[in-house]
Amino acid sequence: MIQLLLDHFLFVNNINDFGQTIEKGGMKVKKLVIRMVTIILLLGCAYATSPVQIKAFSSQNVARGAFGDDVIELQSRLQYIGYYTGTIDGTFGYGTYWALRNFQEKYGLPVDGIAGLKTRKKLVDASQYDEKFVKDNLNKGNKFTYYGSKPLASQVGKGAGKTENVQLPAKYSDQDLKLMANAVYGEARGEPYEGQVAVAAVILNRIEHPDFPDTVGGVIFQPLAFTAVADGQIWLTPNERAKEAVLDAINGWDPSENAIYYFNPITATSKWIWSRPQIKKIGLHIFAN
Amino acid sequence: MKKIIFVLVYSIATLSIFSYGKTAENEQLSIALSGQYANKMTDASKKLEELDTAVKKTLLFNEADGSSKARDDIWRLSSDIKNSVSSLPLDPSFSTSWMNYLGRLGNYAKEADRAADNVEYHRVMELASKNLRSMADEWQVATAGMVSGNLSIDGWKKRLDVADSGHDWTGMGTSVKQYAESDFPLTASESDSMKKKDLKNMADPAVTREEAIAEFKKLFPHLSNETIGVEMSQPGSPYPFYHIRFAEAESVGYIDITEKGGHVLSFLTERPFGKESLPFEDLKKKAETFLKDAGYKDLVYEEARENNTAWHMVYVRVEPEYGAKVFSDVIHLKIAKDNAGIVGLDASEYIRKEKTARQPITKKDWKTFFHSGVEIVKEEYAYVENDRLEQRLAHYLTVTINENGQIGTYAVIVDTETSEVIKTEKLQ
Repeated sequence: MIQLLLDHFLFVNNINDFGQTIEKGGMKVKKLVIRMVTIILLLGCAYATSPVQIKAFSSQNVARGAFGDDVIELQSRLQYIGYYTGTIDGTFGYGTYWALRNFQEKYGLPVDGIAGLKTRKKLVDASQYDEKFVKDNLNKGNKFTYYGSKPLASQVGKGAGKTENVQLPAKYSDQDLKLMANAVYGEARGEPYEGQVAVAAVILNRIEHPDFPDTVGGVIFQPLAFTAVADGQIWLTPNERAKEAVLDAINGWDPSENAIYYFNPITATSKWIWSRPQIKKIGLHIFAN
Repeated sequence: MKKIIFVLVYSIATLSIFSYGKTAENEQLSIALSGQYANKMTDASKKLEELDTAVKKTLLFNEADGSSKARDDIWRLSSDIKNSVSSLPLDPSFSTSWMNYLGRLGNYAKEADRAADNVEYHRVMELASKNLRSMADEWQVATAGMVSGNLSIDGWKKRLDVADSGHDWTGMGTSVKQYAESDFPLTASESDSMKKKDLKNMADPAVTREEAIAEFKKLFPHLSNETIGVEMSQPGSPYPFYHIRFAEAESVGYIDITEKGGHVLSFLTERPFGKESLPFEDLKKKAETFLKDAGYKDLVYEEARENNTAWHMVYVRVEPEYGAKVFSDVIHLKIAKDNAGIVGLDASEYIRKEKTARQPITKKDWKTFFHSGVEIVKEEYAYVENDRLEQRLAHYLTVTINENGQIGTYAVIVDTETSEVIKTEKLQ
């Protein structure tokens, strides 16, 4: 190709600079055209015989429990052709599962609710995906849909802001995660990871315990319960580590071993807290019952 | 000199105005907060009176139907008072006992529909009514200063400090705790925490510190070269365990292993994660091989959730008699997406192993049981705890229904013997 361009350049220069040998130039044009046609044909053959590739999705199967960009694309494409009517949120739950099964049934694919290669290819052929539109609206936290039958501009409304980029067990909300991450960061940001998960677990243990309020907000904002609430550190912006710690606690980890209290023995002033049966020490915190 | 004096006077004047403004603002906030607390306290006092009346009303009837409305009131009022108490700065021992008592009272009244023994209901509620009366009196005395406006927030907080207290909060907390224990049976949550403590009754032989470390090395050979600390749990722990901390390359974490039997309670490690993402099928295979090698052989896959760096997976024990899943005996696994490494394991629920009993399975006609639009898409057996804290064999049904054009999916759990619906849960 470089050689061809070079030849063409020399040919033009020959005409412009010296005004010589038009016949020689005509031959060169012919050769050039022949070479280009040959290359295009070769490239075309190579493309036609190459293995099937989908210019969308990653190479992995997408199934229930999955989360992320592939699921966003799957939900968008299913919605584009009217199979998915739920929120495009990147979380592969039952809503996406039934929509995908319906699509598979309608298009004569094996009905398993898993977006494998064949299903993804069929879906790409049957739908369109405006990634920029979808991602922009997700990032802005807008309320939007992505039906192919309506103008996109008419499908966008103002939402409540960007949601947390995580997948939680059904009984917890994004707001619970945010609030707990704030509490963990405010209370234990200097502690080892285990200590941060343990603080989150104490909040959850309190929700389950009859002596405490039964909501995340109720437990965290119970007067005199957490120092970070009293001194305002709860409103510091939590880092990813604090969020991950909360996520692990919400998913069943409890390094505190069922504690409902913890305190820093260096700074604790209440005599009562020392009367609680102690379970274990993590970092600077003693966890107790 | 004049300039210096001018600057000084100007600075002092500015500071004074600023301080005055701040003090006034703080005072306003303090007054507003005092008002809110006083309001919550009077509200709780008033509702305590109403609660006492509602309890007494239920004692008028022999049949549960007659007292239905009053029992609803008990449940609502106890919940309202609990909310008020939880939002007040109170002595922690008193506040926790108080909330516990109110929770038990509300639940007892709510569940009285099913109680066949009305004599027992009368006995319990007569006792509760007597105790409520004395608690209402004590509450009025304790909160009088705040309600009448004679106490500031600071003054109130000083009263909570046992050393300066003009009121015996600890005594009040102890009385309420005694009332709770004498008046009402255990609540479900308390039963949960009792169950956790049941680990101390495990009959397995005790393992030594070295044996616990050996177990850790066997399960996680690539992480256990650098153990940085092994501690025994504190004496207040309901069950003794070894707390092992480790740091290997970039991984830092812990594992807790019971002293009795050397069972893993939980394990978690933190490390930087790569951006690669292995297919879910590979991760699941790796997880299942790990569980099998670790000796957890009676588990089946239940669900998984993907997040940025890892998948959280849930496996549940299957009992052999009916092939039923025992939902109280689960294992949680956290598996890294970048290299399929096990970065978390929690088996604290699994090692408690619920006792399950044989149970008759009566014939059900699901067509008449469910509304016509409901479709059963999956039917399994499971052992699930009902609200009387019994493990019951149940039909674990996954059903769907059309909800305004969208398919709603639910888990409906039905007792195999009595057909009681133990639980209905919307699946996401």
